[in-house]
Amino acid sequence: MSTVLTQGIINVTSDCRACDHCTSICPTGAISGLLGQRHKIDHNLCINCGQCLINCPFGRIEDASMVDLVKKALADPSKFVIVQEAPAVRVALGEEFGLEPGTNVKNKMYAALRRLGFKKVYDTEFTADLTIMEEGTELIGRVYGALGVKGYENKGPLPQFTSCCPAWIKYAEDKYPKIIPYLSTAKSPQQMFGAISKTYLPTKLNVNPANIYSVSVMPCTAKKAECNRPEFISSGYQDVDAVITTRELAALIKEKGIDFNKLPAEEADKFIGASTGAATIFGVSGGVMEAALRTAYEILSGSTLDEVDLKAVRGLQSVREASVEIPVKALGKALPVNVAIVTGTKHVDKLIEDVLAGRSKYHFIEVMNCPGGCINGGGQPIRREMH
Amino acid sequence: MSNIKGKVLKHGTQTRTMHWVHLIAFTILGLTGIAFYWNIDIIGNIFGGFANASLIHRWAGVVFTVGPALYILLNFDRFSRFIDTISNFSKEDFQWLKVMGGYIPFIKVDEAPPQDKYNAGQKMLGWMIIFGCILIILTGFPMWLWRHSLPAAFLGFCYDIHFWTAMIMILLVGGHFFLAAIHPKSRVEFSSMMLDGYIDAEISAHHNAKWFAELKEAD
Repeated sequence: MSTVLTQGIINVTSDCRACDHCTSICPTGAISGLLGQRHKIDHNLCINCGQCLINCPFGRIEDASMVDLVKKALADPSKFVIVQEAPAVRVALGEEFGLEPGTNVKNKMYAALRRLGFKKVYDTEFTADLTIMEEGTELIGRVYGALGVKGYENKGPLPQFTSCCPAWIKYAEDKYPKIIPYLSTAKSPQQMFGAISKTYLPTKLNVNPANIYSVSVMPCTAKKAECNRPEFISSGYQDVDAVITTRELAALIKEKGIDFNKLPAEEADKFIGASTGAATIFGVSGGVMEAALRTAYEILSGSTLDEVDLKAVRGLQSVREASVEIPVKALGKALPVNVAIVTGTKHVDKLIEDVLAGRSKYHFIEVMNCPGGCINGGGQPIRREMH
Repeated sequence: MSNIKGKVLKHGTQTRTMHWVHLIAFTILGLTGIAFYWNIDIIGNIFGGFANASLIHRWAGVVFTVGPALYILLNFDRFSRFIDTISNFSKEDFQWLKVMGGYIPFIKVDEAPPQDKYNAGQKMLGWMIIFGCILIILTGFPMWLWRHSLPAAFLGFCYDIHFWTAMIMILLVGGHFFLAAIHPKSRVEFSSMMLDGYIDAEISAHHNAKWFAELKEAD
């Protein structure tokens, strides 16, 4: 049986124009072919980020589609089809309907998803919050462990790397398996949602988890591979059944004849529809770091972070760093926490080599494969003039 | 029977050499380019596969650029005269265009209006070839040398311009070849440009009367 795991997510079509632009975009050198020669992708090396796809001048690179699976599930009355959408989707979806880039269309998006037939429309922001809390507390554990605080000896080494970008995770696993203990053990928001959608949610909705079909709308093509990883079966079923991209959602809305711009503003369904502002910034490079630092600050200091400037972790430079003094109530002193943010996996090598050589000064490193973060993911609307 | 005898030199050695070099480079570029665009294995294989065909295409592109550039540098006066000639559109040129120089069977013409060294059609072709070459060169080198750093949209734009300009030029050169080498009224031009540079004085007096008159006057 061919699946996204056997066939690969990203493929060059047979009418490749052989311009060779993509080979410089690929962070792992997975694309081979000389100028003038049809290019090929080595799926063992490919991290499924889709950057080649959105940068191909001729649209000759495609991602594997799960849209037919979603349509089939929506048409099946025995399925209880639910959907989650990542934070970066809502600010890009409008582009496909003539709106300015960055327009937040989340309320229309919820309405559109209901009209497509999804029984419950949730939001990944809820589990983005969970990821932040998980990564934040995990970081505290590792810091305590490094300081020799009893009970935290086996929490893992420092620095802690973020784990929510599936392209970065595959890169780390493929190229630097020794770095795996440094990766946060937290699942990505998509997979946390998948797990609770088939464990916690069925108990609240009184639905058989076997009948739940969990769909996620992502700005990312690598999420398609992530949902198919064999370990993501916390519920006893595949946690996330299908992933569609922002582009594919827009195509579904158009295909159904929904006038997107005239849709009423609706809200996400509750139970797991609530979220904080921390989740919203998740899709931008530096966002996970900023949210996790704020969480760690609050837990460690016992006070809310009001006016601390974390702008150093934002921006578009490939590697950014910041140092934040966090007063630790339990220790009665302030700890400097050194953080780094990497946008673009190809820029992470030196940091990893420093970590493995024991000379890294950082405590927490955020890595996102796509330039600027998930907002420029491989599943977002294609605007070649912007790349 | 005409009383005009002998031959006149129409194209000098360097001009003919440049024309040959450009013709060979253009033929290679056209063949390999068509092979890439339509993914034609037979043509690609003639050049040793698409990667090699691409390499040959790029270096033929260098010859296509450097050949005329060297010619212009070494023969600047001659090139200036050429530009001057093809820029000068006289009343007779427009009249010649009206009757298409008598080359079109259903436009009956007793005598085409007198022409310069190049007729009105050749003048237009000259400008189209010059502009076409400039466009092809200006898009071709970025496609090769800056393919990794150019924005995708601009690279795609270069490919489109390169392709459509090449297509138009292939058609133009095809027409040029037909008139210069096959058409019974004008195929005598072929040996002049491709072989010794000379053309029968009688033919010049008939096809390029204004130029022939200038030659006689200078004589």
